Amino acid sequence: MKVISISGMRDSGKTTLIRELITRLTSAGRSCALIVNEDGDVSYDTDFLKLYGVAAEFLRGG
Amino acid sequence: MGCSLAARLVALKKELKRNHNPNFLFIEPSEMIVTQELKNVMAMGRRDISYEVGPFITLINGPEFDSQWQERSFLMIGQMKDANLVALTHSDLMDEHSVHGLEQRLAAHASSLLPLSVPCNVGVDEVMAAIIGHP
Repeated sequence: MKVISISGMRDSGKTTLIRELITRLTSAGRSCALIVNEDGDVSYDTDFLKLYGVAAEFLRGG
Repeated sequence: MGCSLAARLVALKKELKRNHNPNFLFIEPSEMIVTQELKNVMAMGRRDISYEVGPFITLINGPEFDSQWQERSFLMIGQMKDANLVALTHSDLMDEHSVHGLEQRLAAHASSLLPLSVPCNVGVDEVMAAIIGHP
């Protein structure tokens, strides 16, 4: 397991980038998981997580 | 980052490793967290589980840079400092001159700025290479 951090201010595109990376990595046969700050302005919908088999945990305040 | 939050993050990391053991675990922290804090937390938990620490990537919103810098420059510097890769997002909404201007303004905090636009597929290959190639 390799842990990757994507930081940035609000609207910096963190979620958009992570979604794209997950799409590419899972298409290449790699599995992905997420720990995401719950206060983010863009969320990960259940359909996306299910489609790519992503285990997600949410962290309030972090 | 407070102790309880750091402990919770470490606990979630262990849980995901034990229950799912993914190839890649992405962490999307709050905008209030700086890179050094994350690095400290990433170093915790290695007694119990094995994992690699991949690149720390910081995103800077190009078109919104001035307003965010005015309010949060201290945090933004903390996020750029110690990052392995700093990317300038929404770069498709900026002209070349503005991108170059930001590169110069941020040179003291980021040795290079990768122009990034997911919708236009700019810079994503470089981020992928950093993730896969990072030791």
